Amino acid sequence: MTITGEVGAWNARGDAAAAVVARGLTKVYGQGDAAVHALRGVDISFATGAFTAIMGPSGSGKSTLMHCLAGLDTVSGGQVHIGDVELTGLNDKQLTLLRRERIGFIFQAFNLLPTLTAEQNIRLPLEIAGRQADRDLFDRVVETVGLRDRLGHKPAELSGGQQQRVAVARALISKPQVIFADEPTGNLDSRSGAEVLSFLRTSVHELGQTIVMVTHDPVAASYADRVVFLRDGLLVSELVRPTPQSVLDTLMKLEA
Amino acid sequence: MLKTTLAGLRAHKLRLLLTSLAIALGVGFIAGTFVLTDTIDAGFTQKFSAAADRIDAAVTPAPGERSREEPLVPAAVLEKVRAVGGVADAQGLVQGTSALMGKDGKVAGDYPTAGVSIVEGSLNRTLITSGSAPKTPAEAVLDENTARIRGFAVGETITVLDSEEVKHEFTLVGLFDVGLNQELGFTGAVGFTTGMAQSMTGEKAFREIDVAAAEGVTQEAVRDSIAAALGPDYQVKTGKDYADALARQNGADTQMITMGLLMFGLVAMFVAALVIYNTFNILVAQRTREMALLRCIGATRGQVFGSIVLESVVVGLLSSVLGLLLGYGLGAGALAVLTSVGAPLPSATAALAPRTIVLGLLIGLVVTVGAALLPARSATRVAPIAALRTQVEEHTFRAGLIRVVFASLFLVAGVGATVAALGMEPGQAALIVVMVGGSLVFLGVLTLGPVIVKPLGAFVGWLPARLFKVPGRLAVDNSRRNPKRSATTTVALTVGVTLMTLIAVLTGTMRATYTQKLDDQFPVDYMVQPQARDSGLPRALAEDLRSRPELTGVAAFRQTMAKVGKGEDEYEVGTFVAPADFRPELVTGSIDVLRPGTAVVADYVVKGLGLKVGDRVAVRTAKAGAVELTVVSTFDPEVADLAGVTVPEEDFERYFGAVGDSRVLVNARDGVSPERAREVVEAAAQPYPTAKVASSTEVRGEFDEALDMMLMIITGLLGLAVLISLLGIANTLSLSVHERTRESALLRALGLTRPQLRWMLSVEALILGLIGALVGVVLGVTFGWAAAQTMTEEVAFRLPVPQILAFVVLSGLAGVLAAVLPARRAARASIVGSLASG
Repeated sequence: MTITGEVGAWNARGDAAAAVVARGLTKVYGQGDAAVHALRGVDISFATGAFTAIMGPSGSGKSTLMHCLAGLDTVSGGQVHIGDVELTGLNDKQLTLLRRERIGFIFQAFNLLPTLTAEQNIRLPLEIAGRQADRDLFDRVVETVGLRDRLGHKPAELSGGQQQRVAVARALISKPQVIFADEPTGNLDSRSGAEVLSFLRTSVHELGQTIVMVTHDPVAASYADRVVFLRDGLLVSELVRPTPQSVLDTLMKLEA
Repeated sequence: MLKTTLAGLRAHKLRLLLTSLAIALGVGFIAGTFVLTDTIDAGFTQKFSAAADRIDAAVTPAPGERSREEPLVPAAVLEKVRAVGGVADAQGLVQGTSALMGKDGKVAGDYPTAGVSIVEGSLNRTLITSGSAPKTPAEAVLDENTARIRGFAVGETITVLDSEEVKHEFTLVGLFDVGLNQELGFTGAVGFTTGMAQSMTGEKAFREIDVAAAEGVTQEAVRDSIAAALGPDYQVKTGKDYADALARQNGADTQMITMGLLMFGLVAMFVAALVIYNTFNILVAQRTREMALLRCIGATRGQVFGSIVLESVVVGLLSSVLGLLLGYGLGAGALAVLTSVGAPLPSATAALAPRTIVLGLLIGLVVTVGAALLPARSATRVAPIAALRTQVEEHTFRAGLIRVVFASLFLVAGVGATVAALGMEPGQAALIVVMVGGSLVFLGVLTLGPVIVKPLGAFVGWLPARLFKVPGRLAVDNSRRNPKRSATTTVALTVGVTLMTLIAVLTGTMRATYTQKLDDQFPVDYMVQPQARDSGLPRALAEDLRSRPELTGVAAFRQTMAKVGKGEDEYEVGTFVAPADFRPELVTGSIDVLRPGTAVVADYVVKGLGLKVGDRVAVRTAKAGAVELTVVSTFDPEVADLAGVTVPEEDFERYFGAVGDSRVLVNARDGVSPERAREVVEAAAQPYPTAKVASSTEVRGEFDEALDMMLMIITGLLGLAVLISLLGIANTLSLSVHERTRESALLRALGLTRPQLRWMLSVEALILGLIGALVGVVLGVTFGWAAAQTMTEEVAFRLPVPQILAFVVLSGLAGVLAAVLPARRAARASIVGSLASG
């Protein structure tokens, strides 16, 4: 089994400079007969400065994995580390502060507060944390995502692609240890989607950002440095330097 | 369709409950009012019919002739009645004044107690609650309340003044219940045997004669034979008719209470209607997709409309029933409270009359359905395609031309009416015009609400946004994002706050105006008056006060009623004895114009008799026959507190003889402490048991107390409207929270802590509360000021700043309180679950 071998190799290599590490992660919803095992013991680590995609068929547990890694959801068993902090055992307040300080988010939809302008949305995480935005970083991020002339607009006045770019900028601005992106291009046409994905990749390679992205789109996944595959709550496969075709092939194999 | 609606209602029980509560409170108040007054009415009727069992006929003077003196039945008539065939017994009822002396040797209370006769035998209607009725002239009974307050027990000796103010002692043999006689309840009463009652009160005639018929004679028969014997000067009624008439009289009193309370009930219902309207509007907005789905699968516009209306019918019915139960509880509770504080009410169990049930259900239903009609109509405008849109679009609000035009019309008309009223002569007409103007302006503000709520939100939110950083700023934004919703929510609160502020301003202004007038009128420290206002004090008292070195400026006033002018009109004619520096202000000239043979006349007398300065006016005097006086000047009784027709002292003496002082004003000399001066005045008054000493601060205090009481009651009643509007805030917030579930989850994901999220919602509620309060305060102060201007001239306007601040602060706090539950729910929601929803 070559695939399993590769997984082991990545894990060994990643641990040294891992931004996020999960060990024996399990998640059970419900109880008794109605219990659903969303995660059945996942060991995974995400290297700093890498762009990783999580893939898998519907119900494979990829969103649950992301929620658990990001401290949005509690785990049933196992451990999660973000940098040197262990998430399991933190209370809500500590988790919130951790998210505030170390994690950035990009969701599929409903990423922005409708009452705030693009600029206010971008600065929101910093303001919540009571920090000042680095003027240079702000300019660079805004320049990178190409939103300079859109800063004063409300989300309702922006296109879907522009809204997602605002979300990307917002995730980048606080220089988080890791950005979790949940289907960031799910609602976009292919051109806007490609743009957003390019920005994500650029931010990894130029700003050294760590990004973990959940997606079911092989093309989106192909922008990542590495793709991990989940099925029935277990990590089953992974690809390094993926292409759309190799991702699709792996998926086909998993579905079979 | 019916099933869908009902299933939807069942699925949202909590939402239903909050909405229902607003209506239920309003209906409850109205129903409670009816329960209370119905029960009191029923109790009265019951009690009166009990009385009717005892008497078979009652003789009273024929009504019609109106004179100042209450008409009485002369003693001779009693003998006539007793002689009529078929009459077994007849007793006259005496009621007059006989002042009870307190244990301190002064007359008890601010008003002299009444003296009444306690009849013997089967005709006695007085309820002796302990001891026995007086059987000999040396025995007397007291009403329970007076005995308790003055500390008298059965077996003790009481001292009572007769009409000539001579002391008499009696043995207290029992206590009695004044029953429904409010006059006796107010003054307190001493009961004697009939003969002693006549000699103590000086009343030889009777208020009424009660008759018992002989065995086998009907009430009608005995009434007819008495009526035949007495002729048309007297009214004879059967016991039953008499009881019915008494019950009706009391019914009129309770009707006044009903009307007054219903006014507050209507205000509450208006606020409830606003709350319902808003709730249904939000529900419709939130269920756009649900509606669209229904339309997609074939529901017609009419069916969608019907489903919303049906929902409102169910809500209206449920809440009205809840309201009726609440009303029953409120009514019964109010009765219990009133009885426990000793209000003279008959005991009866609270009753829910069919009329109350029908009216309660009807009002609740009509208001709920009426308020839901507009939202239901907007629900029909949802296009089927909306079901397919994933994201709910933000409501952008633009001030439409129609809205602005209507608002301007209301405002211009309202302000115009108010300004016009300010130019009118103070009086009821002007006050009504101001009220109409105020209502119009309020309508204008209501229409303009969505336009002004945004800038107001920014204004009110300025401090919270800076104080609470991100949660604060987000809260300010949220409070302004849906101006229509915010406006309706806050207007509900504005209603209550406006009325409260208005009342606070009015009472504050009345207090200030009164105090100012009090200071103008008697720049005095003490006033000595007889307990019975129409009697006089011996002149020796004023003489004694003048001789005391600690006192100065002693002014004595005397007056009596006399016929003035050509007609039969009686006015008070009086004089004053005062030092030279007592200079009441006249319209023209100074008080020095008052010379023998002249009079200065109050403007109401001038108006009543059509006089002018220089005219001669006839006064029928007791001692000097008819005299002609020259009117030398006039005065405003609110400025100069003199008798309507004031003449020089010597003239008064000649016209009316030695009339006692009705009022003596006294000042402390400079440097004398108030305590010392008070002691001196008290000491001078001590020999005269009926002389009551009051200081100007006491007079002011009494007035203050009365005002405070009024303010408290009205504020309490308006509190209901405020409570309902708070339910509205809670409802709006919880629906908004529901709507913004994903937004809240996003904020939490981005690092907003639970307390911060709670703060955000609390601040939003705070801002809504403050906007409502602020608009209310501005309207209340403006129209309070305008209304005060129409009440009297020379109003001393006062802004009750602490009260108004309290209203604003309390409104804000109440808003925060209303946000507690919605905020908790929002903060508790799981982030992952919320992100997935919607």
